[in-house]
Amino acid sequence: MVLFSPTSRSLVGLAVTLLAVGLFSWYALRQVEGLSDLQTRIIDRNRRDSLQLLRIQNNLQNLGFSMRDMTTRTAGYPVAAWKAEFERTRFDLDDAFRIEHELGPTSRSDQQQQFLEDSVSQFWAAAERAFQLSGEGREEQAQALVRDILQTRHASIAGTVARFLVMNNEAEQKAAAEVRAIYSNVERNIYYFLLAAVVVICGTSVSLILQNRRVFRSLDQLSHQRQVLARKLITMQEDMFRSIARELHDEFGQVLTAVGALLARAQKPETSTEKLAKSLRETQQIVQEALDGVRSLSVRLHPNVLDDYGLEGAVEWYVRHISEQTGLNIECVKEGDFAGVVPPETAIHVYRILQESINNVVRHSDSKRAWVRLRRNARKLELEIEDRGVGLPEDPRTAEGLGLVGMRERAELIRGSLTFSRPAEGGTLVRLEAPLTA
Amino acid sequence: MTLYPRCPALLVCVAAAALAQPRSGVRLTDVTKEAGLAFVHNTGAFGAMYLPETMGAGCAFLDYNGDGWMDILLVNGMDWPAHKKQRTTPKLYRNKGGGAFVDVTHASGLDVEIYGMGAAIGDYDNDGLPDIFISAVGQNRLFRNKGDGRFEDVTRAAGLIGRESFSAAALWFDYDSDGRLDLFVANYVRWTPESDIFCTIDGRRKSYCTPEAYRGETSWLFRNKGDGTFEDVTVKANLFDSTSKALGAALLDFDADGLIDLFVANDTQPNKLYRNLGKGRFQEVAVASGIAFSEDGKARAGMGTDAADFDLSGAPSVAVTNFNNEMLAFFRNTGDGSFKDIAPTTALGPITRGSLGFGCLFLDVDLDGWPDLLVANGHIDEVQGAHHGDSGRAQSPHLVWNRGGRSFLDIAAEAGRAFVAPKVGRGVAVADIDLDGDLDILITENGGPAHLFRNDLQSDNRGIRFELRGTVSNRDAIGALVRVEVGGRKLSQLVKTGSSYLSQSELPLTFGLGHNNRADRVTIRWPSGRVEEFSNLAAGQTYRCVEGAGIRERIPLASRPRPASTNGPR
Repeated sequence: MVLFSPTSRSLVGLAVTLLAVGLFSWYALRQVEGLSDLQTRIIDRNRRDSLQLLRIQNNLQNLGFSMRDMTTRTAGYPVAAWKAEFERTRFDLDDAFRIEHELGPTSRSDQQQQFLEDSVSQFWAAAERAFQLSGEGREEQAQALVRDILQTRHASIAGTVARFLVMNNEAEQKAAAEVRAIYSNVERNIYYFLLAAVVVICGTSVSLILQNRRVFRSLDQLSHQRQVLARKLITMQEDMFRSIARELHDEFGQVLTAVGALLARAQKPETSTEKLAKSLRETQQIVQEALDGVRSLSVRLHPNVLDDYGLEGAVEWYVRHISEQTGLNIECVKEGDFAGVVPPETAIHVYRILQESINNVVRHSDSKRAWVRLRRNARKLELEIEDRGVGLPEDPRTAEGLGLVGMRERAELIRGSLTFSRPAEGGTLVRLEAPLTA
Repeated sequence: MTLYPRCPALLVCVAAAALAQPRSGVRLTDVTKEAGLAFVHNTGAFGAMYLPETMGAGCAFLDYNGDGWMDILLVNGMDWPAHKKQRTTPKLYRNKGGGAFVDVTHASGLDVEIYGMGAAIGDYDNDGLPDIFISAVGQNRLFRNKGDGRFEDVTRAAGLIGRESFSAAALWFDYDSDGRLDLFVANYVRWTPESDIFCTIDGRRKSYCTPEAYRGETSWLFRNKGDGTFEDVTVKANLFDSTSKALGAALLDFDADGLIDLFVANDTQPNKLYRNLGKGRFQEVAVASGIAFSEDGKARAGMGTDAADFDLSGAPSVAVTNFNNEMLAFFRNTGDGSFKDIAPTTALGPITRGSLGFGCLFLDVDLDGWPDLLVANGHIDEVQGAHHGDSGRAQSPHLVWNRGGRSFLDIAAEAGRAFVAPKVGRGVAVADIDLDGDLDILITENGGPAHLFRNDLQSDNRGIRFELRGTVSNRDAIGALVRVEVGGRKLSQLVKTGSSYLSQSELPLTFGLGHNNRADRVTIRWPSGRVEEFSNLAAGQTYRCVEGAGIRERIPLASRPRPASTNGPR
């Protein structure tokens, strides 16, 4: 089983999240900047300007009342009586006009501004003249001046100021609409961002959970395999010792007893030369059988044929040997470039995997035929053992004795891959791929 | 407050606190009934909620018959035309001596229907008899004292006919130092029943408007031409100002140049301080001198006002009553021609913040030498007060005890239950009605009775009284400055009309000498500029001083009953 590390995916997820947060922050800051600019540049300035305009309007209204009193009150005072009041109002008006001019929006035309300034200075000039006339006792002329000039100028100033206020109001409304648009945009984008963030977080979490579950399952399986392996190893070791002991006892014990008996019979004085020669032949035959037994045992314990003939030779020898021993019809095919020597640390495992597979065929498959295919090139080696037997059970784990586990372990040791499959024709195909490069 | 017997510790604490509280010894006894003052102010209200209905009316002390006892004038309103149900007139009460009064309105010829607001008493024709000016809604009136106990309406003869406005404070003073009293009339707003505006709080019923709803009106200054007629010199004197909404006016010499200046308290408009430049001209300096606005630059609802040397610095400071939550304005004269409102930084702020003040005046109620402050309160609307169980429009008055010019304590509750009882206070005036050396108090209510409180001071402090008569100066010596040096302190008072709210106190001056038996030195600076000096004047006397002739008469004051225990020297 191939395991993927979740770290890389997590890192990618983190990078994506950070990027998204960064982008969104930049966007939000830009919007806030725009908003603050709009607020300070247009709305606040407009509001302060409007306050000054209202201050001017208030003063103009007071002047208007005073002028009405100047011209209409029957038991009233001379026009000059209002001089001090006018001066006080002028002081405040001048200040208001000065501040208003500084705050006035750039959209206002120079022509409008000039008209206002001209009207104001004409108004004060006329007022001065009216007070002068009244001071000289020319009350009617002063009142006429107030009526004809002062009130007209006053009306035009008041009109201009009112227009400015309307303009400010319109600008403010426009800016307010812009602000509203920014707010609703930002609001919408916040929802989008939140939605995206939720999706990313959910995706990452699900992926991590799945990955973790897979990792834990693999660990569980590995742990199980290790356990089985350890148990089987111990059992195998014991079996091996028992087998060697039985071999030694059954084979060599009897052989040596027989050799001893034959030698004792040959030692007897009454033994004829003929009988002696027969005993010696029998002894030699028994020793020869013992030697064959020792060789067979030795090959089982470690196939020297590998050291002597290399992997290809050993495979050929083994297939032939096992065919002879079991009567299984095995077809052995070799393909590719077999120049160079397969490293012994690889060769032994490949050999053992072949041994185990053939053993399984012999023991469990009920197959009369088998195919062994060995392919090789400079980079890798492939070994296939195929039979037409009953095949592996559905869940290989249930059938996994030490054999399959050991085969997997060996494949992993040589960084190779081992697969079990069921060919279309039936039976089992065991396939090993092992790299030959370092 | 209920004290439970199971809380003896609390009882002890309260008792200890009460003992620790310094005592002024001031006892103000309500003598309205026994004095015979049966007066109820008629606002004329019939449901139309006319603005003037909440504003009146004032009162005045004057010795109209020259018997030495201070008589009482109570200004009254009247029913509005077309809504007449009763006939109400101002009331004149003659002091029979010792504080018992008799209604002489009819005999005096003052039983004329006027929608009166305030009164100014002054001997404008220098005949030795105090004349009466009544400011009114509509036509103001001038009554000349004929000397036989009767007054004649000389409004037309004096050239004051046609002077119709919503007038408030009025005062007499000799602004041009020609020896004749001139008349200043403060006008409030341009209001007539025809121009009444519909104001409402709940959107349905009409309520009383604030002055913002109406345009201001210039006050008037009439120069006494000496032939019984007056000339309007408002413009000439530089007092013309159609934006002001004046209610109170006070005389003072704030810059100590010997010329009497004029302070005008405006409602919702900046206060005005007119500096007398001499030669009949004034210069308005309120903003420059820091008295126009509150410390945070706001024009408040100025109502009543008074000026006095409360800290014995020699320079008069100015108190102005304002709307509730605005605090009383207490402009301390810094001595360099400018003022600073110390109410927010002293106990005066907390004491006065919750009240809507009208009449206010300085008087040395306990004769310790330090001028105390009396404030009459009363709302214009039905509100729930939070002071001494105020309810509706009624609010408790303040009697602020001046302790050394630095700390202030409201002793209204200590002065007496009747005194501290909530009232719809408007006018306030003081005079020594029983000539016992301490000052008695008259408070009027809007739409209610007038209250006379006799000062039964429980203290050893002694007073000294001065009655001034000008010869070169105006006969009432209005504008004369009297300085009294006693025990190392220098007290000073101005002979004045106006001040308070729509009211006028007696012209004679009362100084408290504390425990001292005599004033070390007394200096009189007459309006003519003449200065006279006297030394070692015994306490407990009324000194009648005549310009150029010195002390012509000394009349012992009645002895007050001595308290069992005495206060230590302060």
